[in-house]
Amino acid sequence: MQSTEPLVATVPPVQHGEQFVRRTDSQQRSTRPVLAVATRTKHRGLIQGFLESAERFASRDALVVDNTSLTYRELRDRAAAIAKTILDQEPDLLPLAAMLASRSATAYASVLGILGAGKGYVPLNPKFPVDRTRKMLLLSGCRVLVVGGEALGHLPRLLPEIDCSLTVIMPDCGDAAELRAAFPRHRFVSSGQMSQGEGLALDTEVDSSAVAYLLFTSGSTGEPKGVPIHQSNVRSYIEYIKDRYEINEQDRISQQFDLTFDLSVHDMFVCWERGACLFCVPEKSVMLPAKFIRDRGLTMWFSVPSVAALISKMHLLQPGCFPSLRYSLFCGEPLPAIHAQHWQEAAPNSIVENLYGPTETTIAISHYRWDPVKSPRECLNGIVPIGRVFAGQQACIVDYERNQVSETGELFLAGSQVTDGYWNNPENTRRQFVRFPETGETSWYRTGDLVRRGKNGWLYYLGRIDQQVKIRGYRVELQEIETVLRKASGAEQVVVVPWPVALGSADGMVAFVSGVANTMDDQHILNHCRETLPGYMVPRSIYRVDEMPLNDNGKIDRKKLMELLGDA
Amino acid sequence: MTMAMSEAHLVDLVINWVRSNHRPGNSPNGDISSDTDLIASGMLDSFGFIDLIVFIESRSGCRIDLTDVDPSEFCIVKGLCRITLRSQQN
Repeated sequence: MQSTEPLVATVPPVQHGEQFVRRTDSQQRSTRPVLAVATRTKHRGLIQGFLESAERFASRDALVVDNTSLTYRELRDRAAAIAKTILDQEPDLLPLAAMLASRSATAYASVLGILGAGKGYVPLNPKFPVDRTRKMLLLSGCRVLVVGGEALGHLPRLLPEIDCSLTVIMPDCGDAAELRAAFPRHRFVSSGQMSQGEGLALDTEVDSSAVAYLLFTSGSTGEPKGVPIHQSNVRSYIEYIKDRYEINEQDRISQQFDLTFDLSVHDMFVCWERGACLFCVPEKSVMLPAKFIRDRGLTMWFSVPSVAALISKMHLLQPGCFPSLRYSLFCGEPLPAIHAQHWQEAAPNSIVENLYGPTETTIAISHYRWDPVKSPRECLNGIVPIGRVFAGQQACIVDYERNQVSETGELFLAGSQVTDGYWNNPENTRRQFVRFPETGETSWYRTGDLVRRGKNGWLYYLGRIDQQVKIRGYRVELQEIETVLRKASGAEQVVVVPWPVALGSADGMVAFVSGVANTMDDQHILNHCRETLPGYMVPRSIYRVDEMPLNDNGKIDRKKLMELLGDA
Repeated sequence: MTMAMSEAHLVDLVINWVRSNHRPGNSPNGDISSDTDLIASGMLDSFGFIDLIVFIESRSGCRIDLTDVDPSEFCIVKGLCRITLRSQQN
């Protein structure tokens, strides 16, 4: 019998080491500037599909955001101005430029503008604590930062502790005099000082190993971990998906992921590849997407399963209520069968698919198509299978005795979508990207996900082999939160557990601490967490215990702690 | 059983619930009133909002009809209360 609790480790972690032939440091390509890579091939860049659509469908809408629509021509012109400004202001060889913006017209134009300047983009989230954003900016090594109007207010807190000189481009700011006076170390480019993008050839054939985007995930050491996705990785994904879903210029595609979430890359670039229109779901409509889907006549929906659960709880998942949808995709966390079933009934003309893929494997790498008749029998513990890996990608299962096996174990992935390491992090790269003697030069990414391959060939997600959890689709290393809590509370021991958990997904987490001074206030500890961690990583409650329960191995018994919550 | 409530009573109920249940990651910026936008103020996120809806439904005994509501009205305390009362009457 398999565990019904995917968030609790059910087998010992695979030990790192000797059985894998690890790559040497000199083989860790992604940790160095891409221009240093010896072997280069030219490639159709991530932005190329958008540019072709802008030629073919110049006057069609490319983007609807805040009730304003931008045609392909208008969006290209905005992007071109940003690209030209980057190249004029900072004609350096650095491979990346950052953007601090949140699903605004400027945010989307910045993504395209940075790519148009021949750089990879590093999205930073104005909703995250400034300390975390600063850390990501410094880790990325960017010297250019494009800032949307919605994030300008963050600059006075973000910039003081940045020692290097940044070029800050502000398409939504007409006057940068105050910022210039306050931060003479940095260069500020206001809207009036931006270059004109007209005439700029946004035609980019790129080095396939160049970084297209760099995202940060939660890291167990307390430092966010940079995941560079190369042009070749994301191009493989786009090519596969655009044909699978037969996207065309009539499609109306949802966009409700933050740009720091890699699923947003799917929304933007699958859409623009074929001249379709992207509909940014306003923050308030994320709670009531049913009305948004209907009013906008969306044809493709993509969200984490938690959103389906949310719509269902609001009694808005009624049979036949989404007739316009032809594709409904879910990714980021386990998809409960009950939600897939209800969604299918609500969207009778839609194909419903469950996608799976860690950030390191570029957006998603396996899929399972829901079949109202067969699928209920094919689910395991009420959770929809993650299916099979995309054609051309590879999967193998490794047990905790380090053997490749046919049924249950840790999922390893390889192929053109899989990146080759972490950003400037050779230690984590060595740990997570390995080789097997029997598969030669193939680099395999260890997902840390425990899976089972069924007799029908489907892969089933069973849980994690470590302390990583998903909170509403966001990847969270519990150790990162524990590190912050330890620092804030001075606790001798800290344990964070996901809570509450329902249908394979956690909605939040709580912390247990021991050895905290009685004078230390819980609110003070939580306030420190709020200043350091994104909202979804802040524990709901802190429980003080005299001693942590231990298991037979003398380790802290997390299961027992969770049982205590059940009794509460 | 449906319990008839006045708007003022419902507003109090919602405000008290938000004061004691706002998510730790979504700290209230300032005090809450009937005109507060619970999302724009950062007091609740979408998942916190669901908890609030479930709470209101349990206390009012009616299912809140959100089929055609305007998200702007829905996010404001008194707007949410009015939607609840309309649902109660239907």
